[in-house]
Amino acid sequence: MKAANGGNEKSTRFHALCQSLRPELLRFAFWLSRDRALAEDVVQESLLRAWKAQDSLQNDDAAKPWFLTIIRREYARCFERKRLVTVDVDELIAKEEPVLAAEDDRVAEIRAAIFKLPEDYREPLVLQVLMGYSTAEIAAELGLSNAAVLTRLFRARRQLRAACGEDSPMDPEEAGMNPDDGRAEARE
Amino acid sequence: MMGCTQFRTAILSNPHDDRADLELHAQSCGECAQYALQVRRFERRLEQALRVEVGGGRAAKATVVPFRSRGPNPRRRMSVRRGWLAAAASVLLAAVVAGAVWLASPESSLAADVIDHMAKEPGAWAVTEVAVPPPMLAMVLEEAKARLRPSAGLVTYAHSCPFRGHQVPHLVVQAEGGPVTVMVLSHEAASRPMHFDEQGYRGIIVPVPGHGSLAVLERGSGSDLHAVEQVAAQVQGTIDWIS
Repeated sequence: MKAANGGNEKSTRFHALCQSLRPELLRFAFWLSRDRALAEDVVQESLLRAWKAQDSLQNDDAAKPWFLTIIRREYARCFERKRLVTVDVDELIAKEEPVLAAEDDRVAEIRAAIFKLPEDYREPLVLQVLMGYSTAEIAAELGLSNAAVLTRLFRARRQLRAACGEDSPMDPEEAGMNPDDGRAEARE
Repeated sequence: MMGCTQFRTAILSNPHDDRADLELHAQSCGECAQYALQVRRFERRLEQALRVEVGGGRAAKATVVPFRSRGPNPRRRMSVRRGWLAAAASVLLAAVVAGAVWLASPESSLAADVIDHMAKEPGAWAVTEVAVPPPMLAMVLEEAKARLRPSAGLVTYAHSCPFRGHQVPHLVVQAEGGPVTVMVLSHEAASRPMHFDEQGYRGIIVPVPGHGSLAVLERGSGSDLHAVEQVAAQVQGTIDWIS
């Protein structure tokens, strides 16, 4: 009886966690995949994996990064499994137009520009702006150095500003940025 | 002492960076303070842009607003407008024709859409004894404001699927004769029970007063709908609607 109650409690807690985080997880998966249907699938598969591995989540405060890591892995798995073909980005934008539309044209314009960012720039940007990750947290999640993360964020914003016609003569050049922007093999 | 390039690079990498040296520089350099303001203004729109509506079918309902025009060539404007009018007229005509066909048999069109959806998720039909974890099932059903009591049977698949502009629960119940699919269509009213047998699927669309309808189907063809009807009754008897 005690065990059954414990199981129920666990189940209720997990359900509550999923419910509260689901919109954010869906948004993250959407920006990662740029495909709403695929994002739904990835999140549902991830929640199923999370359910099976829930004992490894010791602290509810760590739930969001824990779920995000599962989603990133699931998306990578999905990418491998389905061998997703390269699609023209304008087609992706047209397909997801209902999601990308906004009352403010300038917001819709930024959404379309985000779709055009390379994944290497899009993902750290989403983690920083939407998920509230610090530079160090993004670096840890993506296996990059802090400098490489900052470079990607800098380039992401420069590209977005330029795409939306908001670049300015005051924008700094890339001089002084981390030149390799590569994986941080030597990161301790 | 921090230079302007360093300051602007840092702000563009992280507009919310509030390190003291950045603050100091902004206080002593009006241009950089102005630049930081500009970047943060853009950042607010970026934050708004990233908060897309993706859940619960709300996205599908969003108004489609065209992207801001970048100022078309005035000489092309007229022909573009004519092109749009022609395209709009064709779309309207197509919509009228499609609407007329649809109105002639709305429920068979619903059945056809349900069957079309089946082709997209062939994996759902797996024969298995592994039940969907209860929280997952609850979460999927919440899209339709519904709950399923455990006596509904062994549910081995539960996904929230896009269907006619809404997210709908797509479940698979393992019946004696094999897997039976249930789609909870709370946005699709049906006037009467309707049987269908098309494209290798047979089933029934059952009206649920006040809550749309249920589509219940299995693979195969023929007139024996015993398993389907049994699952339909079982689900109807064990589903609770959350008002």
